[in-house]
Amino acid sequence: MRLDTLIALALVFIPFSLTSIGGGSAIVAGIQHETVVVHGWVNSREFLDLFAVSRAAPGPGMMLATVIGWRVAGWLGALIATFALFVPSSLLCYAVFKLTNAHRRKRWHRAMREGLAPVGVGLIIAGIIALFRLSNGGVVAVVIISLAAAIFYMFPRFPVLGVLTLGGLGAAMLSFAG
Amino acid sequence: MALAVSDPCSGFQSPRLRSLFILCFKIGILSFGGGLTGWLYQGFVLKNRWIEEDDFASSLAISQMLPGANVVNLVICMGEQLRGPVGALSCVLGFLVGPFFAVIALCQVFDALADFALLPAISDGVAFAAMGLLVVMCMRGVRRALRFPPSVAIIALTAVLVGLLQLPLIPVVVLIAPISVALAWRRA
Repeated sequence: MRLDTLIALALVFIPFSLTSIGGGSAIVAGIQHETVVVHGWVNSREFLDLFAVSRAAPGPGMMLATVIGWRVAGWLGALIATFALFVPSSLLCYAVFKLTNAHRRKRWHRAMREGLAPVGVGLIIAGIIALFRLSNGGVVAVVIISLAAAIFYMFPRFPVLGVLTLGGLGAAMLSFAG
Repeated sequence: MALAVSDPCSGFQSPRLRSLFILCFKIGILSFGGGLTGWLYQGFVLKNRWIEEDDFASSLAISQMLPGANVVNLVICMGEQLRGPVGALSCVLGFLVGPFFAVIALCQVFDALADFALLPAISDGVAFAAMGLLVVMCMRGVRRALRFPPSVAIIALTAVLVGLLQLPLIPVVVLIAPISVALAWRRA
């Protein structure tokens, strides 16, 4: 029974590992369907809470799998869900990177790197737009983002945690005042 | 000659596995919001100078195209570039071990935290500050792209299609990446 659950966890998350193109946000809807509707491991309310926790905690949003595994089958469940979600995609990434990086002196590889770089920058801008859209911060968001960017731009070695703390405190004060 | 192992041909020195693990552990456990990529950029490129700007940007593009958490793919590329397979393993383990325990711990105290009214505002503010770091990355990326104007057009096109028009990332990248690579090829 318990072994069945562990195997089911692995079978749910391994396919998601290889379809999470663009990161964890791409598979939240799929994970919700599998864990709430298909397997009934958590109800909708619990899923929302777990999602919020996975976003509030440090690390990638894909740690959502970790807390679901933990809720369903304890520490072993957490471990198996985490491995199932991270190992397949990691092996694929390693293989692709290694195969192409062996040719880094060749002209096609240089063109590939120089060609992909601006696409990567464009995707980050798209990510900022998406995050901004998800948050309903308005002016507060613009002010904090700009100030943080100014600090990081002028002082590249400024401790990141310091700026994040200032951002959190600043937002708390603004919401308290407003 | 009690010098550490280094490549005399380049100014870069291979970091020790322990340094990679510790850097990734720190970033993994202390990073909140969407700014992890920016933090990795600071750690690997700005602060330690282990990775060149262009190598970071192209690794990021590969990381974002492939399935998996972008930042996890990115630390795999960083680790592989610097120390091969064991480097990649050190980076991934270092990066994930902290969040693994942190997310479970946070789950356990979630109910107590839920009553604290200021928590959503604080967490938003942290996320905004993290986004500021991403903004700086983009500014530097655009500045680098100015050497070759078509790159600027590629950046703008990608940002508009995926960010503003919210078209699916994969088809857009599959379409634009070959064009961008072809442009870079003709230039080389």
